[in-house]
Amino acid sequence: MTEEKKFYLTKEGLEKIRKEYEDLKELKLAQIREESPKILYEDINFLGSKIIEFENIIKNAELIRPPKKEKQNIIDLGATVLVEINGEIDEFRLVGTLEADPSNRKISNESPIGRALLGKRVGEIVVIKTPIVNHACKITKIKYNNIDKP
Amino acid sequence: MKGIKKFKIDTKELSQKEKVLFKKLISAAELMAPLYLKQKNNKYPGANFYPYDATKEEIERAARKNPAILSSYTFVERDKTGKLIAIPYHLKFKKELKSISELLEEAADLSEDKNFSLYLRSRAKSLLDDNYEKSEIIWLKTGPFKFGFIIGPIERYLDKLFFKKCAYQSWVGFLDEQKTKEAGKFKNAILTGRRKILSGSEKAEISKLGIRIDRTAIFSGLIADFMFTGTNLPNDVKLMEKYGSKLTIFESSLESKFKGDHLPIFKAVFDKKFQKSYSEEDLYKGSLRCILLHEISHSLIRYRDAEERLKDLFPIFDELYAYILGIKNCGTLFLKGVMNQKELEAILIMHICRNFTWWLDSMKNPDVKHYAIGAAIAQNFFLKEGAMREKGGISWPNFTKLFICINELSRLLEYYLAVGSYEEAKEFIEEYSSFNVFKRFSSQLTKISKLK
Repeated sequence: MTEEKKFYLTKEGLEKIRKEYEDLKELKLAQIREESPKILYEDINFLGSKIIEFENIIKNAELIRPPKKEKQNIIDLGATVLVEINGEIDEFRLVGTLEADPSNRKISNESPIGRALLGKRVGEIVVIKTPIVNHACKITKIKYNNIDKP
Repeated sequence: MKGIKKFKIDTKELSQKEKVLFKKLISAAELMAPLYLKQKNNKYPGANFYPYDATKEEIERAARKNPAILSSYTFVERDKTGKLIAIPYHLKFKKELKSISELLEEAADLSEDKNFSLYLRSRAKSLLDDNYEKSEIIWLKTGPFKFGFIIGPIERYLDKLFFKKCAYQSWVGFLDEQKTKEAGKFKNAILTGRRKILSGSEKAEISKLGIRIDRTAIFSGLIADFMFTGTNLPNDVKLMEKYGSKLTIFESSLESKFKGDHLPIFKAVFDKKFQKSYSEEDLYKGSLRCILLHEISHSLIRYRDAEERLKDLFPIFDELYAYILGIKNCGTLFLKGVMNQKELEAILIMHICRNFTWWLDSMKNPDVKHYAIGAAIAQNFFLKEGAMREKGGISWPNFTKLFICINELSRLLEYYLAVGSYEEAKEFIEEYSSFNVFKRFSSQLTKISKLK
């Protein structure tokens, strides 16, 4: 039996998905009861598949929680990291793919930099190797703010 | 019509009143072209801004006594005694500018956006007295407006003697909201990092950067000649530092350049097997991102003393470094998952095609030579470091080496722009700017109209 994919989410992210899921279910019920203006057949199909997708996410969601104090010097999901990379000083938070939003400094754990930084500590220089870009990344700070306590 | 480039765009989303306003702006833009043509003259480094027989030293001497000689908004002429005198643009073109100014007032009456009216009225006044700062500040502090509209003397590229005199230009378009939103996200993803600055440099911090993608209906004056695909204004560092800057991408011009230049060049200079890995859509997106990155980078590389230090060489470094730094920043975007490998490769490919485009453009219009020199520097650098392989006029890029090259070139360009002397910058240009790097491909490029 293949293991189902886990979706790493912050409490805030999971709540957002639950809300969207409830809204979509409501919309579908309203369609069945003919309480809302008719939408196209293709849109109903899309609605159905979106509901299934959200159900799967909620079922397999794993909340991101800060690690124990003694492990907060190690990068894990939810950590905000300050790094030196490619001649720049940058700060971002590692999140699950569903919540990734690089324009708001939220970087996916599945991105090349996310994968390379997980498990690393302050002061370490991580060489991120990809087929096209190779950069050294120095970790200067790790913090776990604004996520739910364990 | 000379000095004008029109693009077909769909205006059905504009109301009747907006369409009338739009036409007024286009009429005003059209009237800019003849003034630009009176400034342009690529037989002389000073174009028509200075007497042809005046030497650089004579002009500098006259400017010490009369600073208006090197003002951005004057023509320099000889009086009856042969002495150099400054004639303000607004006096030289009094009648023509009055007509343009009136059209702007009429457009302002039609606008329902109070701030846009305010900007138009202020700009109408600027044209009549050559005091552009007030209207530029209004433009920077307000908006985004539905209409993308710029008019006046703006770019200094025609003045190859001193890089001081501004050439007239105008463009008219309107906002593509969806694409602007996407571009805004892309910009925010780039600007999360803080670049380390070379000690001793006078780096200007640009407080904010507005961004818009426009469907452009008309280019007039210099911009029609140069066919820019994007721009970042104002040019004045002091204004930029205080009020930020605004970046515009011209969708119509980008589409035209992509279909007419970038794509045919891609097909002409790259290995056929290599070409198959990239769809037209991948490449167009690469071209759009290339210009977005370039314009965003312009806000990151302003040094208060760079223009004075590098003089006529400044635009070469300013334009080239904006391209190179933009691509360098893509490395981090790729590592953060903002783009995938193919998208990153498409940006690199389109950068190379743009380099060829600037060389081709410079043969038709020598005024864009500073772009072509920058393009040659990049291309020679890539070739020398083994990031490009060439055989029989066909090339293959090595993307990993290209990225290493871009990092190294970026480090050098940062040095010249931040603290380098004129002599050092000149030496660097002499080493890398041979056009042979493009000429070798001439036979494949003959299909592209400019070489015919």
